[in-house]
Amino acid sequence: MSSLKELQDLIQEKYGIDPATLDPNESMRDKGFDSLAIVEFLFEIEDRFKISMPDPDPSIETLAGLAAVVDRVRAEAAASAEQQQQPAA
Amino acid sequence: MADARVAVTGLGVVAPHGDDPQAMFAALMRGESALKPLFPELARPAAAATIDFDESRWFTKLQLAGVDRVSQLAVAAADFAVKDAGALDVDPERLGVFGGCGMGGATALEAAYRGGMATAGGRVPPLTIPAFMPNAPASQVAMRQRAQGPVFTYSVACSSSAVAIAEAAKAVARGEVDVAIAGGAESLIVPGVVMAWQAMQTLAAFPAGDAQAAATAVKPFAADRSGFALGEGAAFLVLESEERARARQARRYALLSGWGHSCDATHLTKPDAPGQARALRAALAMAGLRPQDVGYCNAHGTATKIGDPIERDALALVWGDAIEGLKVSSTKALHGHLLGAAGALEAVITLLALQHRQLPPNAHCAEIDPACQLNLVGAQGEAAPALAAAVSSSFAFGGSNAVLLFERA
Repeated sequence: MSSLKELQDLIQEKYGIDPATLDPNESMRDKGFDSLAIVEFLFEIEDRFKISMPDPDPSIETLAGLAAVVDRVRAEAAASAEQQQQPAA
Repeated sequence: MADARVAVTGLGVVAPHGDDPQAMFAALMRGESALKPLFPELARPAAAATIDFDESRWFTKLQLAGVDRVSQLAVAAADFAVKDAGALDVDPERLGVFGGCGMGGATALEAAYRGGMATAGGRVPPLTIPAFMPNAPASQVAMRQRAQGPVFTYSVACSSSAVAIAEAAKAVARGEVDVAIAGGAESLIVPGVVMAWQAMQTLAAFPAGDAQAAATAVKPFAADRSGFALGEGAAFLVLESEERARARQARRYALLSGWGHSCDATHLTKPDAPGQARALRAALAMAGLRPQDVGYCNAHGTATKIGDPIERDALALVWGDAIEGLKVSSTKALHGHLLGAAGALEAVITLLALQHRQLPPNAHCAEIDPACQLNLVGAQGEAAPALAAAVSSSFAFGGSNAVLLFERA
């Protein structure tokens, strides 16, 4: 599962930026996402996806990198929820 | 070296009467009120003068991260002022921003309180701090205009932007900067802040749901006055030395030839006539003018029961027998009280009055309070063909008084 499409939709909705103009492998910073905008966007992602993003992660430089982090966080959350649902031995 | 004379060469407003200073002045001359009822959900009726602002003219959605409405208004008004001044051709390190702001980003702060405390798991947006810090508007202006010299914020309640303009003029006069962008911004028309002002018992009363009564609720110097209404907006001036303005053949709206500061040092919120008089005298002394040389005063005139007679007394102390020759109006009746931006907006109105030799009305004053005996400008506004100098007064909670004195260029 990749969150890339959902992130692209969120960027379109929140900032009016067409996904076609934001190459997932290019630097988001070069497209105008400065450190403040990134922080705000991460907060929005947490709100929308009901997840908790790790503290500033240097791998979040591109949209593809961000999608990979969101994928990982979601996978960990799902695994954790599954574990909690298993009956104790 | 003698201090240089300071000229006003650019004006910019984002005001309740629009973003064209000349059209705004014309609307004021017609006595049009921008006050409207709002927040019907509040227990007590509230009115304010708000702005229909299209932030997309100034910012992409991405650029709006952490930029409160108060900063948006500041960026827009300062940009208008700089464009109005023409080709400034200034070294960025010799360009300063002097901004007044009373509260900062009230919208961001209110959203943070609501979001953070409404529910147990409430969250606060991460950019709340940079959005609401009171110096954000001046810094946003600096980034937009690439001003790399002194960039300061003056938070002196209702005197904030008058103080900012005076400080900017001082920096220009002393040669600390070549050009100053000076003014202020305020935007705090959110329910929590309006309720706080209501609790302070300073806002004008009117019957709930009556838009006409709301529009005319602020009655400076009138017997039946009951206080002010809040307004939001921003106004900026471009200041440079008269010599520099002449050299680049810039339009000169007026000279800022005097300013005066004082503190009552008596009470945090109750004004003091001798304190205000000291600021008025200081402005006259700096300009080298006598009271009778000044034909118009754009009064602080908040229309509170306590404040208006004290301002009248201060003017009488300074003008003495010449008081009848001084025309006075408080334009807050029409645009509301912009608090930290009031001094800047009213400075623009004052120098446009000088430019046009037209005085905006002291609106909604059917019957003057005998304790406020002043030669008020009539409801239709008035021509002042001999007007050569005018003052704009700003008197703040905290007791800090600021007076700006303009002369025709």
